[in-house]
Amino acid sequence: MSGGYKQQPGGGGNITRKDGKRVAGKQSFPPPGSGGSRPQMAERDLQFIPEMVGGREKQPAGAHVHDRIRTGTTVGKSMKLVDSNAKVTGQAWYGDDVRLPNECVAKILRSPHHYAKVISIDTSKVEALPGVLAVATGQDSTTSFGVLPVTKDEHAMAVDKVRHVGDLVACVAAVDEATALHALSLFEVEYEELEPVFDPKKGLEDADEPIHWRGKYHLAKTNVQKRVFQEFGDRSLIDKPSASNHNKWTMKGVHHGFTEPHAVVAHWDPNGRLQLYTPSQVPHYTHRALSTVLAVPMHQINVIRTFVGGGFGGKSDPFPHEMCAALLSRKCGRPVRITFDREEVYMINRGRHPSHIEVKMSADKEARITGFDIDALIDGGGFASFGHVTSYYNGVLATAPYELGSFHYTGARVWTNKPASGAMRGHGAVNTRCAVEVGLDQMAEDLSIDPIDLRLANLLPPHSRTISGFRITSNGMREALERVREGSDWDNKFRQLPLGKGIGIGCGFFISGSGLPIHWDPNKFPHATVHIQVDMDGGVTVHSGAADIGQGSTTAIAQVVAEVLALPIEMIHVRSHESDTSPVDLGSYSSRVTFMNANAAIRAAIEIRDKLLNAAWEMIGYHPDLLVLNDRRIYYKHDPSIGVSYLKALHKAQEDKGALISSGAYRSPPMGGIHKGAAAGLAPAYSFSAYVAETDVDIETGKIKCTNVWAAHDCGRALNPLAVKGQIIGSCHMGLGQVISEEMVYGRTGHLQNANLLEYKIPSVHEMPNVVPIIVESCDPEGPFGAKEAGEGPLLPILPAVVNSVYDAIGIRINDLPLTPDTVYFAIEKKMKAQSVDDPLELESPRLIHSAMQQVVVERAAQHKVRDVARQRSDDTSAYVNGVLFGFDPNIPLEDQVEGWRSATEPLPDQLAELGFAGKAWLKKEQRELEGDN
Amino acid sequence: MLMPPFTLHHPSNVEQACEIAKQLIEDGQQFDWVAGGTDLIPNYKWHINTKPHVISLAKIEGTNVISATEIGCMARLSDLTIANGAHPLIAEAASKVASSLIRKNATMGGNLCLDTRCFWYNQGEDWRRSIDWCHKADCGSGADCRVIPNQNTLCVATYQGDLAPNLMVLEAVVHIVGPSGQRQVPIAEFYQLDGKKKNVLEAGEFLLKVTFPEQSQQRTGCYQKLRVRDTWDFPEAGVAASWIAGDEKSLLIASTALESIPKMHDEQVSEALTDGWNGADSVKSLSVAIQKSIKPVNNTTLTPRYRRKMVRVLAKRAIEGFLQ
Repeated sequence: MSGGYKQQPGGGGNITRKDGKRVAGKQSFPPPGSGGSRPQMAERDLQFIPEMVGGREKQPAGAHVHDRIRTGTTVGKSMKLVDSNAKVTGQAWYGDDVRLPNECVAKILRSPHHYAKVISIDTSKVEALPGVLAVATGQDSTTSFGVLPVTKDEHAMAVDKVRHVGDLVACVAAVDEATALHALSLFEVEYEELEPVFDPKKGLEDADEPIHWRGKYHLAKTNVQKRVFQEFGDRSLIDKPSASNHNKWTMKGVHHGFTEPHAVVAHWDPNGRLQLYTPSQVPHYTHRALSTVLAVPMHQINVIRTFVGGGFGGKSDPFPHEMCAALLSRKCGRPVRITFDREEVYMINRGRHPSHIEVKMSADKEARITGFDIDALIDGGGFASFGHVTSYYNGVLATAPYELGSFHYTGARVWTNKPASGAMRGHGAVNTRCAVEVGLDQMAEDLSIDPIDLRLANLLPPHSRTISGFRITSNGMREALERVREGSDWDNKFRQLPLGKGIGIGCGFFISGSGLPIHWDPNKFPHATVHIQVDMDGGVTVHSGAADIGQGSTTAIAQVVAEVLALPIEMIHVRSHESDTSPVDLGSYSSRVTFMNANAAIRAAIEIRDKLLNAAWEMIGYHPDLLVLNDRRIYYKHDPSIGVSYLKALHKAQEDKGALISSGAYRSPPMGGIHKGAAAGLAPAYSFSAYVAETDVDIETGKIKCTNVWAAHDCGRALNPLAVKGQIIGSCHMGLGQVISEEMVYGRTGHLQNANLLEYKIPSVHEMPNVVPIIVESCDPEGPFGAKEAGEGPLLPILPAVVNSVYDAIGIRINDLPLTPDTVYFAIEKKMKAQSVDDPLELESPRLIHSAMQQVVVERAAQHKVRDVARQRSDDTSAYVNGVLFGFDPNIPLEDQVEGWRSATEPLPDQLAELGFAGKAWLKKEQRELEGDN
Repeated sequence: MLMPPFTLHHPSNVEQACEIAKQLIEDGQQFDWVAGGTDLIPNYKWHINTKPHVISLAKIEGTNVISATEIGCMARLSDLTIANGAHPLIAEAASKVASSLIRKNATMGGNLCLDTRCFWYNQGEDWRRSIDWCHKADCGSGADCRVIPNQNTLCVATYQGDLAPNLMVLEAVVHIVGPSGQRQVPIAEFYQLDGKKKNVLEAGEFLLKVTFPEQSQQRTGCYQKLRVRDTWDFPEAGVAASWIAGDEKSLLIASTALESIPKMHDEQVSEALTDGWNGADSVKSLSVAIQKSIKPVNNTTLTPRYRRKMVRVLAKRAIEGFLQ
């Protein structure tokens, strides 16, 4: 068969336009490998095939279980995202781009009060307005919902109370926007105002009317939504420290600032099924919530995820406006669209929690970290959202990458009468991480040692266990630190730059996929499922529920399938928009998608691969073990001329059954401790990062400008280095916003003062430093081809790196974020007063003369480096748990060998008096206990 | 966000514009002038003091002139930033306004007549309703000022234009036209308290152009702007200074974004120069005097305490900007 097998894609790829643009409908495919004696395929790309299986790709971190299915097709190669053409040509359809025939527009009536009872709503005038098609209030659905099954405290609209300015009261659908807006002014609502709470510290006190009521689990009459206590390790180690510090931080709330405002279209189709279009990160959660709120079985709802114009955690709750659109559409029988104004986006919020964080830490005479004491009081706003998890993350995600003598955490999340806080990139870990890393910098200063060396001498090794029981697998922390140190020329700059110029270090640690699937037992149902279907044309359709929110999850899935089947990525079509056609997936949060979905996709692809190889075996007589897949051709490994085209093999495999179908799933291995809250922060892998930031401080105005960042992130294996670099640079930008200018400002009346993009100050291109992304590849044994997350972890280190660089520049530590010019200026002024200096230009910047301890940490770091390399490459497979650094035996439970080794989730009575702000929540009793007392 | 409906008028010459204004006044209709629209349109979208009629100056011939002695009201800021005859100080100041995209639309006239700003005022309608409105846009409620409560006679919204102080130190003259004819006022007298009144324009009048005296060409100057981000943001404080090289007595300083109107600092300058020019010491005492003369209030992004302190630094840097 000359000229190629007929059903190969493309048409020769030789049709070109004179202007160099692509001819519509003509993909520029290379000539297809036709099989038989004309193998016109591309050569195997040995640079991208691991050396363990005969390629030339170096594997410093050792072999990987997926090595044998590598084909050198896509993994490790920088490529544009598969949906980028749609985006750059303006053809991607975002939430507000959906237009259905006969569609109408809905608007939401929002509360003008911070906190009030809704006494009555008179809708008669609204209904009488010509052009109004449907009206709904809280009474149309009184069923509560929420993103977490344990804290369902939201309703489509206020049922009894409004809990913040902007809370939903009613909604109206009309023939056009102007009519809907006019209709809003005709609602007559009677409120009875209640005393609002804005200060989270007040939220710890008993109130006349708590914002929510949890029945017998309610904590006295406070507004505490969740309290956490965790204590691990040997508390006696913190006695007699050689250095210690105690810092109180105030971090303002920040918002995701995604480009696309929320938008939804709901439509009950002629069969009475709900079709809901929404730019959601978690279509499955929305699916569940819709079913509950509308009292309709899930199979009668199809959630269609549109393109998502940025999410960052802000589109990962099921939202009340989605319920409103569905309710209105059901009433009026027409598709209903709701698109938010930017102000409404801030009213629904779900941004990072405003936080009061206290961190105490201490080191012993060998500069080992003997204790972290963390207290985090976080302001949840009006609803729970993800707050239950955030309450844990603020503590537990500080238990690595360092080996600790002891760990103590008290956390509390309180409801206040503000828009609800929720999950945002780096969920729960960001603020505490900043406080911890700045504390370490200060401790290094007090010990007169280099802060990078302090860190290098206290790292947990690969394949170890943290003090709270998290299972660390691959760990590139050490390499990340070493590479930013070298890249930034740290040793020639730190504490040596002139006044006003500074350099600082910060590290990060983050989960790569939450280990708990929230809605089900991970042992009974997988985290992620992917289906693959290959029909006669040879194109591969991949069905996944993973929500691409711009991070490139669709591309990652397409890449791994292309890699396993050795097909050009253009032949892989990922279908992930509809719940009707997608397997259940939990969504894009906790940096789980690449790890879990790509693993599931690999499994499904292996099944297809096996079928193809078996077909080829039948056709050419060589066992699959002796066959090579490469660019649409399968051939005998020792003689490439003996082979068969992909399409021929495929058709052979289809002879009996038609299209090839396979399904793959990912389940995390059993792991973690058994204490209360042990599942929070548990993940099948963790990412590590280290950043060095260089900052200029204008000493007269207090304005800071971060000029350079060296950003090393351990993502296990960069499936697509271009996408990883994009995530690192994007994370730098987002984190920088929180550290220099972004804050949700609540004024003296409790109103959000800057609900717009002019006054909510996201850094512009002028504020962006030059970022040098450095990819560290520790090759995770369970990650897809070794990959771990790269979407959230890279945000963490930029905050402390900048704060520490400001100290290096002017010798001032500021514990309030953001570091706005006025904050920095008044800190400078205070220092001038303290030093009796008139001109800030006469201030001195800090200098470092190493103490004897420097040698101790340098030597220990060198020993640990040898240890870590051996453990990473599995040359050393001995057990390692947090505590070995302090001389404990990892093979005996620590409780059995250390007197006083604690693993507690409730405070002892004698601890109550010493607890921090959030810890005060433990002074209160739950209603069920109070009832018992009576 | 839906634009409230209004009738847009497009006069093609000054006479027509005045005629339309006159007619609307006679009919008892309220209206606004619009030039580039980058200030008015966002306010309209927020339903702030919207009017049923808007008269556009865009098609009036000859209003986009830019020369050393004259700048028309419709001259675009982006055109002012490039070398085309305007004084370098104006080019510098124009280049610091908002962002490059906005400067493509924004105009000289619009920037000078910028509405005063306040975070109790520049908000959506629902938000303002939620605080029971404010004095500047009271929607018929007679609401109190939210910045300084218990006084509902004065609006303290802040004027945050960048060009005005620079025109002040170049001694520009504002040409005003309206149904009752043309008049001219020095720019230092153009602005008038309070934050609602803003300037001397009477009903039906608009700012046609500004002209510059010949000697303004001999002036060198510098404009210092305080803002959180180096684009988009309005000034949190701004100081412009100029002089004719070598002649201390010619020194002029003006500030903006600190009160409801931009301000000349002639008094502080002449006081500082009483004993003649004394280099760095004069710069210091002058910048301290200017700091003392202004009273910002809490209605912009940064705190008034900080903005006041920064005036000293900005003044110092502005003067040093051309002394060096």
